[in-house]
Amino acid sequence: MARDKIYIEEEFPSPLRQLWSNFKQTNVAMLGFSGYLFLVVLAIFSPLLAPHSSVDSNLNLLLLPPAWDAQGDVSYLLGTDSLGRDMLSRLMHGASLTFGLSFVVVIISLVVGVLLGSLSALTKGVKSSIFNHFLDVILSIPTLLLAIIIVAILGPSLSNTLWAIVLSMIPQFIHITHNAIKEEFNKDYVLASRLDGADSLRILRYSVFPNIIEKIITQATLAQSAAILDIAALGFLGLGAQSPLPEWGAMLFNGLDLFYIAPWTVYLPGLAILFSVLSTNLVGEGLRHAIQQRKES
Amino acid sequence: MLQFTFRRLSLFFFTMLLLSLLSFSLSYFFPGDAIINLSGQVNASQEELALLSQQYAMHESFFSQYWHYLLRIFQGDMGISMASQLPISDEIANLLPATIELSIISLILAMSLGIPLGFIAAIFHKRAIDNIILSFAIVGYSIPVFWLGLFLILIFSIQLAWLPSAGNISLLFEIPHVTGFLFIDILLSNSEYKWQAFYNALAHIILPASVIAIAPATVFIRLARSAMMEVLATSYIKAAKTKGLTNAQIIYRHAIRNALIKMIRHIGLQFSHLITFAMITEVIFNWPGIGRWLIESIYQRDYTAIQSGLLVLSSFIFIVHIITDFIYATLNPLARENKHGS
Repeated sequence: MARDKIYIEEEFPSPLRQLWSNFKQTNVAMLGFSGYLFLVVLAIFSPLLAPHSSVDSNLNLLLLPPAWDAQGDVSYLLGTDSLGRDMLSRLMHGASLTFGLSFVVVIISLVVGVLLGSLSALTKGVKSSIFNHFLDVILSIPTLLLAIIIVAILGPSLSNTLWAIVLSMIPQFIHITHNAIKEEFNKDYVLASRLDGADSLRILRYSVFPNIIEKIITQATLAQSAAILDIAALGFLGLGAQSPLPEWGAMLFNGLDLFYIAPWTVYLPGLAILFSVLSTNLVGEGLRHAIQQRKES
Repeated sequence: MLQFTFRRLSLFFFTMLLLSLLSFSLSYFFPGDAIINLSGQVNASQEELALLSQQYAMHESFFSQYWHYLLRIFQGDMGISMASQLPISDEIANLLPATIELSIISLILAMSLGIPLGFIAAIFHKRAIDNIILSFAIVGYSIPVFWLGLFLILIFSIQLAWLPSAGNISLLFEIPHVTGFLFIDILLSNSEYKWQAFYNALAHIILPASVIAIAPATVFIRLARSAMMEVLATSYIKAAKTKGLTNAQIIYRHAIRNALIKMIRHIGLQFSHLITFAMITEVIFNWPGIGRWLIESIYQRDYTAIQSGLLVLSSFIFIVHIITDFIYATLNPLARENKHGS
């Protein structure tokens, strides 16, 4: 319902809304965003959309090339793999594993990281210093190495790699929240509400969080592209998703033996990974660009 | 500078303490008996195990166990590998140089590609070149490293047959093991096929090094671009312009120098990413380095190897980190000041 403007009043859009209106203006970012939305839809509805089963093998149709090949079959648009499974359905199902799970991973580590980061920003002195040193140590270990250690403790499986990636992503969210909150707390508007008698928690909730949420979202998109690559890399190394699951990295690894006979079993999952990482990165870049633009204006 | 050194050293000490503590406690986290995980003696009898736990002070407090663990690490004893039953310190001494060699060459490659491109993008800001370089950076950052590796093997090793696809030197050459760094060893050896071996090793390193270098290079492009733009916006550049210097003079004499110093700081941070890529690439290219060894240790459930590999690899990364910090501080006096909240 349209809202009638009775009074002439100036409207101040919230930081998130401003971000969106800046974000909309960049074409490349919108392209990335539509790719991102496409992947989200695919990840949620892949069981309904997929033309064939992603795990049932069909021994009559082994290594069928994609439909544009002379020997291809149009009902198996992207061909089949070495067990006669439809590549298109597997890739679609893989979207919910590689892309969808990376989303879940980022959400979990974001929530934990932001909570711990706010806690650490509110504490001062020795406690905070020890905590920061501890974070520096964890940040200096590469995420993949950390994930490998955790997989070594828990054993290779998809859910274990997810926990491993969550754990290795948490420190960067703590770091960015901590720094952003510290920065905001030095600003005058925080001082103003402190003079009004607000306590730290209230300032955090009503003054600081609305202003730092854009930074956290930008970090989340960057973290998601890293998470997709990590899930796929661990799947490729055989430490993540196990064989019948159509996780893109694991699919790529399965196709490796037949790379020369059936190159599509390798390059298609690779392209899928590239596409999802690229659209996530474009969204992240667009967000970063929008934030910068708003700061300059 | 003294205070800076002291702060860095205390950070180093603290980090090593935490890393060794983490590595030690892993022997309890891993499945199986802690003493077997620590020593790697999978075939030991009951009596030998009893003797071992005496040596490792397993019946004493956690702190004294940790202390004994540290003492043994300092003596260079990391136990034996569960899979091969060879001393782990020897294996690491054989494998780590290959990884260092590969990662340093990739780092040089990434920097020599990324930094100039980033500078060019910044100088031609908001023009076509800037956009082209930036889109290259985004695509390069998004390519999965294992896929890129396979592709390059397919093109350059199989279709064109220009470059070898596995290992770090052809088996025909026999290079005596002196330092472990292949290129230095080749130059030290007095074989008559020295230069053939050198070129062969060079041909072997090109593909893996460029695969590893792509993603860090794109990061360097962005960092160099923003560093250069920051420098170009400063008032001393404006002053140089008012003095009447040409654009080329300003960029060569003032901008590049100051932007390069800023870049050194990021190298240490990028190094840990680079090692991650190196680990995956080593698996694809069958490179005899520590990354492939670590990943194989997981397949073989060689917990002793994983534990020590983690310790060695992360200390290596951290040492590189500290060294770049020092280089940055010596070159840039501004960084030595004690910044609060950093």
